[in-house]
Amino acid sequence: MKRISIDPITRLEGHGKIDIFLADDGSVANCYFQVPELRGFEKFIEGMPIEEVPRVVSRICGVCPCSHHLAAGKAADAVYKVDPPPAAKKLRELYNSAAYVHSHIAHFYALAAPDFVLGPDADPAKRNILGIVEKVGVPVAGEVLKHRAIAQDIQIMVGGRSTHPVWTLPGGVSKGITEEQRQDIVEKAKSCVEFAKFSLKLFEDVVLGNKAYLDIILSDTFEMNSYWIGTVDEKNHVNFYHGDHRVVDQNGKEVFRYKDHEYLDYISERVEKYSYLKFPFLKKIGWKGFVDGPESGVYMATPLSRLNAADGMATPLAQAEYEKMYSTLGGKPVKKLLATHWARLVELVYSAERLLELAQDPEVASPNIRTLPTATPEEGVGIVEAMRGILTHHYQTDKNGLVTKANLIVGTTNNNAPISMSIKRAAQKLIQPGKEIGQGLLNMVEMAFRLYDPCFSCATHSLPGEMPLIVEVKDPEGNVIHREGR
Amino acid sequence: MGNSILSDDGVGIYAAREVRRRLAEAGRSADADIVESEVAGFALMELMAGWEKIILLDSIQFEGLQPGTVIRIEPEDLHTSLRLRSVHDIDLPTALELGRRMGLDMPARLTIFGIQAQDALTLGESLTEAAERGLKETVELVLQEIRDS
Repeated sequence: MKRISIDPITRLEGHGKIDIFLADDGSVANCYFQVPELRGFEKFIEGMPIEEVPRVVSRICGVCPCSHHLAAGKAADAVYKVDPPPAAKKLRELYNSAAYVHSHIAHFYALAAPDFVLGPDADPAKRNILGIVEKVGVPVAGEVLKHRAIAQDIQIMVGGRSTHPVWTLPGGVSKGITEEQRQDIVEKAKSCVEFAKFSLKLFEDVVLGNKAYLDIILSDTFEMNSYWIGTVDEKNHVNFYHGDHRVVDQNGKEVFRYKDHEYLDYISERVEKYSYLKFPFLKKIGWKGFVDGPESGVYMATPLSRLNAADGMATPLAQAEYEKMYSTLGGKPVKKLLATHWARLVELVYSAERLLELAQDPEVASPNIRTLPTATPEEGVGIVEAMRGILTHHYQTDKNGLVTKANLIVGTTNNNAPISMSIKRAAQKLIQPGKEIGQGLLNMVEMAFRLYDPCFSCATHSLPGEMPLIVEVKDPEGNVIHREGR
Repeated sequence: MGNSILSDDGVGIYAAREVRRRLAEAGRSADADIVESEVAGFALMELMAGWEKIILLDSIQFEGLQPGTVIRIEPEDLHTSLRLRSVHDIDLPTALELGRRMGLDMPARLTIFGIQAQDALTLGESLTEAAERGLKETVELVLQEIRDS
């Protein structure tokens, strides 16, 4: 049996890699996706006061620290059975919206766009952000960096720090914003809305306007017939900070709906001996292996999932884009996974509009930002939508509020089984007996993985970079016959 | 650079703190600005803009190196072509090049000291013995580099 390894070179000891096993005839036999996982999290925070946890968990990750901070903050509210005042909730959501703008801009322009703006089989030396700058020009690239920076400035203004916030407290937040800051955010948010619109226009012109790219999106190489999960408000519109967590089936029909504290009734986790990372699945459907369809409890948690699991968007421009996406792609749910990039841009518009809406609400400048907790702390669950999937934090404490037990299901963990299945499917469709395995083809396999915007458990950013990948093709004896680095 | 609550991943941060202490002890705090950073990619690009020379300290995980080994790296050593190396953000050489193309005042000189990590996956605020040795060696190398600048 041949083996193709897509290895991050910082993890050559066996963590964090994609293994594609080829049968003797050259077809894909199987595929495994392994990721590194931080060790000792529970031990590290054991004995820590619950109010300290949000600022510690935000520092286990440089990719979605805001999401960890807010999920832990909501869990800490629940541990103390305290409901933050409206201004605090709005500020948290405002902060989260800015973080989404920041993250989705970076993902689209630096990570997704190179495959589409430059082409999946473009020279890898140019298939990156520098190639994008060359293609779209320095002024447009300047706008990309400007709005990423604006979103970051808002996070610093509101949350104290950009990357590692130190701000939520049980019952609210540690500081509010002034009226002057609120007005500043309004202006910044208006600019973000315009930039989000521009980004969707760019996607339409460059990607949807190119039949070859549209064909790739619509091909059956990148699709999944799983359940879909996302958080919705009372009108079943997408919400990233609060609401019910809704699961829809392969026909888009709601099958489950749960609140933060009920997650253990709906989500279960399976361990596979080859991976450190667990495989969550829908408990009431059950684990049937790495297969999709109604009998399998595999669910997906991505921007596309959130849109599939909702009935619409809560803001007008995003709603129009949502309708356009579904009418173009043939209705709900969309199962073509590369549409996740499109969904991410619809979410970018929503985040920017929501940021503006919240900033225009005078209440966000209210000084009433904290309800002091008075109950005895016990146990709590906090769930938010991290950019790359639903994020669950669950803590138990003693009566002094010191953590005794923690459980986290992070964004990418939800997608552990779908990522494996997507890579396998793409590899099976693309790698054919007798067909040369070149870097363009392997990049297409990787596209099945990158669309998830996967986050590897907030692991190290040791040089030479974060998660570089190496692709190795091995013959039946295990000899490397082809090697691609990226 | 590094994550100071992730064992050896934080060795660059700890080394920088020691350099700061040693400079202050010698009354030479003005010789260098010590900046601790837990960011990478775009944010690092912005952070690096405006400095004439940067000495970057970070943990490394290179194949075949003994834990605690300290190596000096020039940015061009990291890889030979500007490729996408990250699933989340841009890597260091790309960050430098992007900054230049965007007209930012990127440092003319950048030297990296990498300390091979033994354990960069366990949450904790202490280093392994190997990384501790690497830290001591790095501090001397950096102080020398600052003296020579």
